[in-house]
Amino acid sequence: MPIDPTGVVLITLVGAGYAATRYRSAAKARQAARIARKSLLGMLPTFAAVFGLVGLFQVFVPASLVERWLGAAAGPSSLLVGAVLGSVAAGPPAAAFPIAGSLLGAGAWMAAVAAFIVSWVLVGVVSLPFEGRVFGWRYALMRNGTCFLFAMVIGLGMGWLL
Amino acid sequence: MKGQTESLQPRRLTQIVGFLRREGLVVVVAGLYLWAFVADRHSALRALATGGRVFLSVVLIIVAVFGILGLFQVWVDKKKVAARLGERAGVGTVVLSAAFGTVLVGPVYVVFPLLKAVREHGARWAVVTAILAAWAVKIPMVPLEVEFLGWRFALVRTVLTFAGAVVMGLLVERMMIWWSPDPRQIQISAEGVGAAEEPRG
Repeated sequence: MPIDPTGVVLITLVGAGYAATRYRSAAKARQAARIARKSLLGMLPTFAAVFGLVGLFQVFVPASLVERWLGAAAGPSSLLVGAVLGSVAAGPPAAAFPIAGSLLGAGAWMAAVAAFIVSWVLVGVVSLPFEGRVFGWRYALMRNGTCFLFAMVIGLGMGWLL
Repeated sequence: MKGQTESLQPRRLTQIVGFLRREGLVVVVAGLYLWAFVADRHSALRALATGGRVFLSVVLIIVAVFGILGLFQVWVDKKKVAARLGERAGVGTVVLSAAFGTVLVGPVYVVFPLLKAVREHGARWAVVTAILAAWAVKIPMVPLEVEFLGWRFALVRTVLTFAGAVVMGLLVERMMIWWSPDPRQIQISAEGVGAAEEPRG
């Protein structure tokens, strides 16, 4: 198992951040560490599921399928597919990146992948009832609708820029 | 049996939403593996090994990302910022809101009620929407995005999402005013902002 240098550098930096926080306030550093540990442990099942999904994806989903639905050749419809996939997917944002990476690796268009990530985070079909209850239905529908369109616009911008 | 009768109370609802958001994926993936093992044991094992390998290659980054998350939580005083965003109105505040959104961390059932409080402090819809939209930027998650999608992808997506958050905030606010059954809302934002949105790129 090769050790990833990015991870080592990052861990070192974060460690330094904690050391600095500890220097300023030991209680704050302890609290930060507790929050980090708690949210990491809470997300462990999800991460297991996500990487399980990445494995399934790479073995069972043929690249041709991804290319047909999400490839650059599919054009605008791939943007729509990406945004719809992202909207119905329910999961924490951190989980979107490994899956998006698999899609990109299988030949999906960068714009569609960007639309997928943005709508994953911004458009929540699962959390829509909750949002409607907190802010009112009118706002929830308008915000999710606008964000859905924006996911595609941002995707388009990505495809154009990169 | 406590809480059984108040099935529509927000707390109960947040629990359901929280559970679906967190564990729905686990249920689906476990089901898929079950199916895969029945259909093709060899391929299923290969999938499991592939997933495990990818996970091991990024496990340090994941731990670091959550470390950053913890630091953000203690250094960014959510309540203080929230009170501040309710004070003034103007495009500058909307930009500030978007900036706040990028460092905001927490699950949807914590963030929504927080923003509800921001709104009740007198914040414009544009402020609430910009925070929610910029929430998709995920500064603490950038290392993860770079690892899986490359730094160019991460950089451009971050910049575009941030700019989009400001525009989206103003746009949604405009729509709220147009379709408002309550004329008092018009007072909250008097300034007209570009409703015709140009696709950016």
